[in-house]
Amino acid sequence: MGAFFLLPLLIVLAYSILSKGDYGGVALPVTGANYIRFLDPLYLRILGRTFWMAALTTALCLAIGYPLAYFIAFYGGRWKPALLFLVVMPFWTSFLVRTYAWIFLLRDTGLINTILIRLGWIRAPLPLLYNEGAVLVGLVYGFLPLTVLPLYASIERLDRTLLEAAADLGARPAVSLARVTVPLTMPGIYAGGVLVFISALGAYITPDLLGGGKSILIGNLVQNQFTTARDWPFGAAVSLLLMAVVVAALQLYRRREEAA
Amino acid sequence: MISRRQFLAASAAALTGCRRRRAGGEVSVYCWSDYIAADTVAAFERETSLRVNYETFESQEEMLAKILAGGGGWDVVFPGNTLVGPMVRRALIREIDHQRLSNLANLEARFLDPPWDRGDRHSVPYMWGLSGFVYNRKALGRAATGWADLWDRAVKGKITMLDDPAEVLGACLKKLGHSLNSIDERELQAARAEALRQKPLLRAYLNAEVKPQLIAGDVWAAQLWNGDAYQAIAENRDLAYCFPSEGFALYADSAVILTQSRNPDSAYRWIDYLLRPDVGASIARSTMFPTPNARALELLDPALRANPDLYPPPGRLTSAEWFTEISAEGQSLRDRIWTEIKAA
Repeated sequence: MGAFFLLPLLIVLAYSILSKGDYGGVALPVTGANYIRFLDPLYLRILGRTFWMAALTTALCLAIGYPLAYFIAFYGGRWKPALLFLVVMPFWTSFLVRTYAWIFLLRDTGLINTILIRLGWIRAPLPLLYNEGAVLVGLVYGFLPLTVLPLYASIERLDRTLLEAAADLGARPAVSLARVTVPLTMPGIYAGGVLVFISALGAYITPDLLGGGKSILIGNLVQNQFTTARDWPFGAAVSLLLMAVVVAALQLYRRREEAA
Repeated sequence: MISRRQFLAASAAALTGCRRRRAGGEVSVYCWSDYIAADTVAAFERETSLRVNYETFESQEEMLAKILAGGGGWDVVFPGNTLVGPMVRRALIREIDHQRLSNLANLEARFLDPPWDRGDRHSVPYMWGLSGFVYNRKALGRAATGWADLWDRAVKGKITMLDDPAEVLGACLKKLGHSLNSIDERELQAARAEALRQKPLLRAYLNAEVKPQLIAGDVWAAQLWNGDAYQAIAENRDLAYCFPSEGFALYADSAVILTQSRNPDSAYRWIDYLLRPDVGASIARSTMFPTPNARALELLDPALRANPDLYPPPGRLTSAEWFTEISAEGQSLRDRIWTEIKAA
């Protein structure tokens, strides 16, 4: 098991401190230049944008996922297994195929624009595809199940008698949600948030397909280094730096867990 | 308990993804997507009783990266003309034994002995083409003439460029009157400025996947290879192809046999099969890409053969320029500029 995880990582580490080969691959000498190169404002801007998109995705996933998980946990009744099944079902199909499906929904002659034009609500098609909004929709859609499941687990475990006690003591539903339900389901919010944030940091298919290649995230930068740029060491260094950030995020998450 | 050596051998095999196969009896091919007729593989298998393992790639850089990483186990791959030299120097491909290709003489003389592979020692021309742009005559309301038409504010949001640094920088450089293979810093910075000026007008950077949107009329002008463009023109007669007056790129893709090939005999039979007039004609008909095979060309419908966008008379190619190999320093500079364009 350890070999599966560790060997590829060691290779990436080794690549990241070598020099680039003439037509791809790696060569001697050993160097730290690949890491220093990342400090260039050009790459830091891409990193910043990636963080911003990942944070937005996480916030939206939580905003949509929490009410959904809450609804299933409280009002799902005997439909709970079926509803959870529906949440997980998209994972049965390739992410690539599902992202392509969004192109057919969002494009000028796609389903959404066609319906809106038929209804007479708009005259010309809305530019729904190939912009930041489309990328965000794709990311939220793709990662939503990752938030719903941990949220559901922690909302389901919530001791309902505490909510009754809050009501008995005169707390209105909104107050009891903010001061009892949400604080007690924090572990689920953290777990769901971390899962989405980390996944979104590495996204590269979605910005490519739904963003029309007009903006790049860190994932695309790494991919480019291994293909068109033929600079494997820099690609390896960028992916390790991204991983360092992810590990730091996980550490932060563990601290919160232990503190809770 | 496995020994350290066994463990290393096993993990090396796992890392390089090499497959153990019966030698002979099959051939493993890695080619561009949509670059063959629907029945080519099946007909070859029927005729030779060899099994073909056929896989496709979207970018030749992806193909090279996989081979350099030691993966694939392919026998025959199809690099573009700029990649043949680097692959030869990395000793990734074998020398071609001309005696074993009975159909080699079918190729047009002008595609033999090319500058990127003198003496045809390592590669066999497969298909060729050029990158101008396809546009919607009706929507645009005029005949397009040059790259400048793709910088027209009136068609904002209806234009796409290829998602490929060599193609986009090439078009910008040509628009400015420079060589599309330039590695001159000043010229490339000017090309970058052109690309940044064009970016707000672009719907997206798209490769062959732009075709359905051209056919549907969502996209009015798209930088595209002529074969792909004609696949779209066949579905929508409002579309037309433009050879930009400022100049444009020519390329050729070739078949090569990899050094790692375990079935070189089958590889020769596959390549010789592709060179057969009837097979070459069927591929040219279904992909629309121009064939360099003179005998295959004779078998095409006169209308297709006479199409000046696919089989241009020499006079139409005077402003054309072949893509050439870019030096490592040039490549670094171009990559940085491409990243700047994409991140803007």
